[in-house]
Amino acid sequence: MTNTILIHIDHAEGSLQRLIGLIERRGFHIERMTINDAGAGREVRVSVRPRDASRCADLLGRQIDRLIGARRIAPAAAASSVHVEEAVPCPA
Amino acid sequence: MSAAPMQKPAAQTAPVTGARLVVEALDHFGVEIVFGYPGGAIMPVYDAITGARFKHILVRHEQGAAFAADAYARVTGKPGVCMATSGPGATNLITGIANAMLDSVPLIAITGNVASPLMGTDAFQEIDILGCTLPIVKHSWIVRDPADIPAVFAEAFHVATSGRPGPVLIDLPKDVQVGAVAAPGSPYPLNEPARRVDPAQLRRAESAIGAAQRPLLYIGGGVRIGAATEQVRAFARATGIPAVATLQGLGVLPNDWPGFLGMLGMHGMRAANEAVQQCDLLIVAGARFDDRATGKLAEFAPHARVIHIDVDAAEIGKLRDAHIPIAGDLKTVLTQLNPRRPAIDDWRAQCIEASARHAFRYDAPGEGVYAPALLKELSEKAGDAFVAACDVGQHQMWAAQHCRFAAPEAHLTSGGLGAMGYGLPAGLGAKLARPDAHVVTITGDGSFAMNIQELATLRRYGVALKIVLLDNSTLGLVRQWQELFFDRNFSEIDLSDNPDFAAVAQAFGIEAFRISRREDVSAGIERLLAAPGPCLAHVIIDPMENVWPLVPPGKSNSEMMHGD
Ligand SMILES: Cc1ncc(C[n+]2csc(CCOP(=O)(O)OP(=O)(O)O)c2C)c(N)n1
Repeated sequence: MTNTILIHIDHAEGSLQRLIGLIERRGFHIERMTINDAGAGREVRVSVRPRDASRCADLLGRQIDRLIGARRIAPAAAASSVHVEEAVPCPA
Repeated sequence: MSAAPMQKPAAQTAPVTGARLVVEALDHFGVEIVFGYPGGAIMPVYDAITGARFKHILVRHEQGAAFAADAYARVTGKPGVCMATSGPGATNLITGIANAMLDSVPLIAITGNVASPLMGTDAFQEIDILGCTLPIVKHSWIVRDPADIPAVFAEAFHVATSGRPGPVLIDLPKDVQVGAVAAPGSPYPLNEPARRVDPAQLRRAESAIGAAQRPLLYIGGGVRIGAATEQVRAFARATGIPAVATLQGLGVLPNDWPGFLGMLGMHGMRAANEAVQQCDLLIVAGARFDDRATGKLAEFAPHARVIHIDVDAAEIGKLRDAHIPIAGDLKTVLTQLNPRRPAIDDWRAQCIEASARHAFRYDAPGEGVYAPALLKELSEKAGDAFVAACDVGQHQMWAAQHCRFAAPEAHLTSGGLGAMGYGLPAGLGAKLARPDAHVVTITGDGSFAMNIQELATLRRYGVALKIVLLDNSTLGLVRQWQELFFDRNFSEIDLSDNPDFAAVAQAFGIEAFRISRREDVSAGIERLLAAPGPCLAHVIIDPMENVWPLVPPGKSNSEMMHGD
């Protein structure tokens, strides 16, 4: 059920709050998170678990892609499905 | 004073203040109107706007500023701008920012804040407005260096208007407004690569459309936002596919368009909801499967394959899987989508026949004013110049059901947030944007009281907004739900001690009159539309009137209730 996402965010004020807020608001529990400075920004590795079966990690990835000043590194944004250790079905 | 200050900042010799750079940025981006309200933490900007090219409209409540700017943006397609001081000024903007977020409206909200050294100390009128608004903005900035102002504004205008539009917030600590800049930094390079529409999905969509037996076009607010009305009309004309619209998609197809079945969903047309339940292919253009449109999602369009077209890839598959997802700008997609005309004569005829059979009737018995008939007549008399700024409640649903809209920009309604109090300030913003149009605020006695102070703004600037106040002495929509779903336990919905709204309007210096009999409706509408200045018609209607039809909350759209 756990999905790990790697995101690059800029140093701007609020960018970390924005990311965490989005993940929780969209129905995911944050299990682990590491933040490392990466030159012009920060690299955030976050493991998330959906709060219920209707939450789809692929969709969460696309919602992260909408954030300004954030770039999803893995799973790659272009891929149609994210890296899932156990598949989370999108609502039919 | 053209674009020089933004593009050649280094050429400036004398130092300028951050506040001056704010004004220059707004002028540079062609802002015509800023809706705002001053206060301590934004005073340097107010000091600088005396030299601005844009006009400042002093509203009487910051929520009014945000709603007016929102409506200005919906009507013009350009970003609306509102401005407030720190603390209470900023928090008063919040409902308006949320409204813009949920309806994807490009809104630039500018707030002052306490000086940087005081931020984080619980200073007087200090609120973390960036934090408060994080979930309801597309993006936001705290400016820390006045030299960054040109770049931040450039990015803010770009973010607010590009892709799926939305509100942005720029928070300006007071020291940043007064700080002097010798040479402001250069704007961000804003070259967003144009996204290519996936040609493989387009070809799949074309063959699905060509082969469909019961296809249906599902039109949402994204069509107005993407300025794709003409492309949708051309597509509907070329394919002959029947269509339904969401609340925000009304006006894309004219009411009398053959094959247009009207609004779907909770208060939609029966023919529209039936067509959705029967269709085998749903072509979704700029809509997001909102629960007010779909009813019980699991039973929505049960036989349909879905082609979902949206500029926001995160909307596709959010609530309903798309068999053919097409992420891209609607205008571009529809121009490149050229299916052969499907053989659907029987289906089309069946839809058109059902639409005629279930059409609304306006022969309600009685002497009292029948609001649906009044709204229909109002929109028809105002004609193509009609623009409705609605509030929230029964009157909002009647306006959606019964008014004729020539274009989606003619129907301004708080769809996503459903915020009572939108109507009056939205009418103000829309009328300032389109002085030539018959802009009419359609409101209820509950909603009107929420931003009634903006009557003073109409008066001050001589804004010839027309107001139709449908007064049923109750919070009508809540009363209707209590009647239908809470055993008639009428709890806290009585407004029978309302003030005399016509007298209130007159006290604000606004022409006002009352309509209480059906026979006075036509003359009243004519008087309202002919009035040279702002004018309010206080219309007395039956407190027990309901909005029909209705899909009970949580039920499938196939379970419509029809009342009497
Ligand atoms: C700011 C806000 N508060 C509460 C509501 C809940 N609400 C929805 S409709 C409604 C009643 C509206 O009454 P009125 O404006 O008189 O319109 P009517 O339904 O009578 O036409 C209420 C209280 C809301 N949508 N917005």
